[in-house]
Amino acid sequence: MRNFFKSTRFKILLAFIVFLVGVMVYSVTKGGYAVSFESMINTVSKPFRTVSNVVGIKIENSVDRLARANDIYEENQNLKKQVSDLNEQLSEYDLLKTECEELRQLIGIKQAHPDYTTSRFCKVIGYTANDPFMSFTINVGTDDGIKPYLPVATSEGLVGITVEVSEHTSTVRTVLSPDLSVAVKSKSSDDDSGIIEGTISSAGEGLTNLMHLRTDNTLKKNQLLVTDGTSGLFPKGYPVGRVKKVGMDSNGLSAYAEVTPCSDIKNLTSVFVITNFDGKKEDKK
Amino acid sequence: MRLKTTRELRILYIKTALRWLLYYIIIFFGFVFMTSGTWLKPIILIPIALRISINNNMYASAVTGAVCGFLIDTACEKLFGYNAIILTVFCIAVSLIFEFFLRNKFVSFWIVSAVLSYIQCWLDYTFYYKIWNYQNAELIFNNYSLRVWAYTVISSVFVWLLLKIINHFLMPKKHFSIEETIKHSEQQNH
Repeated sequence: MRNFFKSTRFKILLAFIVFLVGVMVYSVTKGGYAVSFESMINTVSKPFRTVSNVVGIKIENSVDRLARANDIYEENQNLKKQVSDLNEQLSEYDLLKTECEELRQLIGIKQAHPDYTTSRFCKVIGYTANDPFMSFTINVGTDDGIKPYLPVATSEGLVGITVEVSEHTSTVRTVLSPDLSVAVKSKSSDDDSGIIEGTISSAGEGLTNLMHLRTDNTLKKNQLLVTDGTSGLFPKGYPVGRVKKVGMDSNGLSAYAEVTPCSDIKNLTSVFVITNFDGKKEDKK
Repeated sequence: MRLKTTRELRILYIKTALRWLLYYIIIFFGFVFMTSGTWLKPIILIPIALRISINNNMYASAVTGAVCGFLIDTACEKLFGYNAIILTVFCIAVSLIFEFFLRNKFVSFWIVSAVLSYIQCWLDYTFYYKIWNYQNAELIFNNYSLRVWAYTVISSVFVWLLLKIINHFLMPKKHFSIEETIKHSEQQNH
């Protein structure tokens, strides 16, 4: 051991340590600036460190993801459940909003026509397959107080009449059908009156026809037509449609008009049935 | 020659029950399809009923025709029983024709299906529009009846394929019972 301390090897090592201490002391005296050697190392290694750092972080993340797979899966499941709950709430909200809107419309109708007794808003279950006149089925029937030949409407206007009623469903014949005649008049003039009846050619375009008009009528485009109420089947003064075009019949004795129904009959989702109103024709016992 | 054992008999019953269950599930979905949406749709229950009738006796065909007819009446809001009568007659006729005159081939089915669905469309047009003298009644035939007929003929291709798959797996093959086998052997020996 004593020989080692006296040896040249020890002296060299000691000199090296002293050198390192010297370097350290020197770097302390630089006041925060790196020494030249350190700068050179940094400069040379910078691109490699950058790349290796990116790769390292990716590997760490991957390993971390694998290690935390269960946690992430659970978190994902929780989030999915939350999304599902929120969607459910949103759907309920939409339903309530629709219901609220429908009730608001019904209140409006009741205020405008206090004599009406109406059903709740009922859903259109489906349109009759391949029917050119767009008859459809609704989800109310005799159990809800519905009878045959009651007017069916939306808040925009008259849609048609119930024709076949079962316990829970009813079939509605629309104003596009040639089998339904509705006496109407212009809202602005009692003299301009006629019968609304669908035709095969107009039903395809979602239109109906106003017939038996006086030749000297004063109907104009977009004029509103309302029910006359004389038949006792329909309430008086309910909107039916707007005039699209007025023309003369081929016989020259009367005029006709093409009418756009107030309700979009091809895209109905809910309607209501007017079960009673002033002037209603009583059922035959 | 295969013998009809008790086990095979049980399998035959199960297969037959399953086959008819699938037939009626298809009929039900055909009905649901016909009642959905506002577009013109094929009367898909016609080819279904006809295709079922090809492989079955006339009693089963008649019942199937009636069921499909009632469903068409409901879907199309026709007089309840109107299409049931038409389809029952069609199905019995098809069952007999394919038993005695025609082979169970796609082309035969397709032609028969096209002819009978055309007759159904024509009867529908005649009884529901033409005889009531609606103005421009022919428009109904050109714009609705013919289009529905064309869709029905096209849909019959898919119906054929679907029921062919079911029949391939579940239609019973010809078997002989032990008694029939003995009798057959004796006849051959003589």
